[in-house]
Amino acid sequence: MANVLWLQGGACSGNTMSFLNAQEPTVCDLISDFGINLLWHPSLGMELGSNLQQLLRDCILGNIPLDILVFEGTVVNAPNGTGEWNRFADRPMKEWLSDLSKAANFVVAVGDCATWGGIPATAPNPTQSQGLQFLKRQEGGFLGKDFRSKSGLPVINIPGCPAHPDWITQILVAIATGRIGDITLDELHRPQTFFKSFTQTGCTRNIHFAYKATAAEFGQRRGCLFYDLGCRGPMTHSSCNRILWNRVSSKTRAGMPCLGCTEPEFPFFDLKPGTVFKTQTLMGTPKELPPGIKAKDYALLTVAAKNAAPNWTEEDIFTV
Amino acid sequence: MTTQTLDISPVGRVEGDLDVRVEIEDGYVVNAWTQAELFRGFEVILRGKDPQAGLIVTPRICGICGASHLSCASWALDTAWGTEVPRNAILARNLGQIVESLQSIPRYFYGLYAIDLTNKKYQNSPFYEEATRRFAAFTGKSYEIGVTISGSPVQIYALLGGQWPHSSYMVPGGVMCAPTLTDVTRAWSILEYFRTNWIEPVWLGCSLERYEQIKTYDDFMAWIDESPNHANSDLGFYWRMGLDIGLDKYGAGVGKYMTWGYLPHEDKYQKPTIEGRNAATIMKSGVYDSFSDTHTLMEHTFARENTIHSWYDEGTENIHPFDRTTQPSPKNTKDFNNAYSWATAVSHIEYGRLETGPFARQMVAGGKHGESWQHYDGFILSMFKAMGGASIHLRQLGRMHELVKLYRQAEHCLREFRLNDPWYIKPQEKDGRGWGATEAARGALCHWVELEGGKIKNYQVVAPTTWNVGPRDSQGIRGPIEEALVGTPIYDPTDPVEVGHVARSFDSCLVCTVHAHDRKTGEELARFRTA
Repeated sequence: MANVLWLQGGACSGNTMSFLNAQEPTVCDLISDFGINLLWHPSLGMELGSNLQQLLRDCILGNIPLDILVFEGTVVNAPNGTGEWNRFADRPMKEWLSDLSKAANFVVAVGDCATWGGIPATAPNPTQSQGLQFLKRQEGGFLGKDFRSKSGLPVINIPGCPAHPDWITQILVAIATGRIGDITLDELHRPQTFFKSFTQTGCTRNIHFAYKATAAEFGQRRGCLFYDLGCRGPMTHSSCNRILWNRVSSKTRAGMPCLGCTEPEFPFFDLKPGTVFKTQTLMGTPKELPPGIKAKDYALLTVAAKNAAPNWTEEDIFTV
Repeated sequence: MTTQTLDISPVGRVEGDLDVRVEIEDGYVVNAWTQAELFRGFEVILRGKDPQAGLIVTPRICGICGASHLSCASWALDTAWGTEVPRNAILARNLGQIVESLQSIPRYFYGLYAIDLTNKKYQNSPFYEEATRRFAAFTGKSYEIGVTISGSPVQIYALLGGQWPHSSYMVPGGVMCAPTLTDVTRAWSILEYFRTNWIEPVWLGCSLERYEQIKTYDDFMAWIDESPNHANSDLGFYWRMGLDIGLDKYGAGVGKYMTWGYLPHEDKYQKPTIEGRNAATIMKSGVYDSFSDTHTLMEHTFARENTIHSWYDEGTENIHPFDRTTQPSPKNTKDFNNAYSWATAVSHIEYGRLETGPFARQMVAGGKHGESWQHYDGFILSMFKAMGGASIHLRQLGRMHELVKLYRQAEHCLREFRLNDPWYIKPQEKDGRGWGATEAARGALCHWVELEGGKIKNYQVVAPTTWNVGPRDSQGIRGPIEEALVGTPIYDPTDPVEVGHVARSFDSCLVCTVHAHDRKTGEELARFRTA
């Protein structure tokens, strides 16, 4: 049995919607079979108004044990550090968050907004948004670098815009079933089980990547999206091509370049003109290469791969 | 007579943070104020960015109807750049939007709305025990089926765009995907699963074909009486219980309705222009004025915003959204005589405040205006007339009725894809102004974009909830939800479930109440007048 309180700051509800797509377990299974007791959730909770305010106060006072605090959305500090641009239950959300994070055994940040600041924190960051324990790659965030929840762990970051439902439910299940000790967090507090490998791992267009065969335009059933269309799959840590989305696909499989949305720099280049869906190149070579490869080796590899490319790399491989 | 003031913060189970103040006299709401309590400033973020930044940013305005935002953003750039959009791409965009709405309908009905039927207020209703069995949060039989299966339709979205929510697979000139036969057959099976596991056995208690025979109020009443399967389906049960507990008695609203129209036609909108839009959608645009019983077409030039009661320092005039300059007030204290919300008051230059949403769409669908080949459906208008006006209950029926039609349109898209034809025609980027509109699950959505010097000069959004949840305007006229709250009976002020019913009947989405803009001159605006 684990009491879960889920709150939203500067959010779009995308992580909630993603969570509701969960299938193993489903959200209903999570509650009926895994002892998750959802105290309240903005889209699902029963209480309104003063009844909810009382529930939140009871959590802060310890009258209701708060096992897991899930936060979705940014921490809005505007205007001038007051947080009044995001009031909730009659108070700036950041004040609730500050109090509740002290009472929680585990604090879980779900989605890019809660982890790094996400889209709302894109320059010029009009809402002075932060993630819970980071702003972009910079450690600190709203709760501070040294924050540890009552369990001793820092904020568990489940990034992504949105986070994959399985990433969310499986962390909740791990906590509820006492397996949290098996979770290793990387330097950005992401569970390595989901974020050690790359988005590219498992991409069906890998064979085109290997032969340097490009999809120069959209709407193609062949070609790698990395060379021309700005795909960040080789540089992004996520399991999108191992744990498929909605059980059926991934962006790169469908033909959409990975935007790198599990990384703190998303949206990359702050969406400056000329950077959206276009690979940044220098003399025809991508400026950013898969981690660990040297530019010179990459150039050699390119020549060899292009020479070796079989004819079918230019054909419709996932054919009608 | 004493007036009791009730401040509800938050209302909850609407998307985003909605606060409501109501004044109650003799057990009825006599005045109401709705307050959107979050500002995220997407319009400020988009200024100066890549022309296509809206394709990434605007779906993140709302995780519930991101496909609708993406669709708007794409059509806006299409009109600005003068693209050609292949037939396949129009269908693929429509299909994405449709399946997102098919997701939203049961998720909203069970997850956000029907739970309230298990409120203790209704414990004396003969329907109460059964309502609890079906609709209780997480454990109710129908709740569990409905909320779980709501994830199915968006599997089709993932086949097209890789994931739902938040794919950006629609782009000016088409779509990024090129579905294969496998994708299409898989999508068919997902649709079938949705129909045979929820729509027919649980929701309707009959086949789609039988339900589609309903055209009038009398047909609907006859359908309920025809079979216990109909009467005891979730639709039949909800309808009967709603009448028993009086959901047909309040929540009427402003009595005037609008839709931008949606689902561009695959053969009629391949070279999209703003001017050509009204004639090129399958579901027609329009305004229905119930006081004069008239239907007219809707144009974007008719829209005005007013910020006098909103936390923006932008003056007191009614202005076209193109003329707005997003200037959030540093101080956003609640002042019910002045500013009290981040939403703005949106209106129509002739008809004033309008309700939008699936119910509004159905009221417009009952009009004989528009093109001869556009969709016509008089059922909900017939219900409206027979029942003497709008209510919470009818608003729900409008939403759920649309489900079947969207299902058929999804089938149409899958049938019409020509898998070997193009999905994308690379456009030429250029400066200019564009407008894209559609209908999200919860109502009329549109984006205006202005590009200058190869970047975004101005981006702005008027979302469905901006229409519905807006505060008072410069004449002091209440917004649609505020108006709908007036007359609401309050049984227990410590648990004002009725306020929740009314607010939730609009399927409000507060996360969408964002705006965008830069100042424009009158002449430039004139280019957009199509009348």
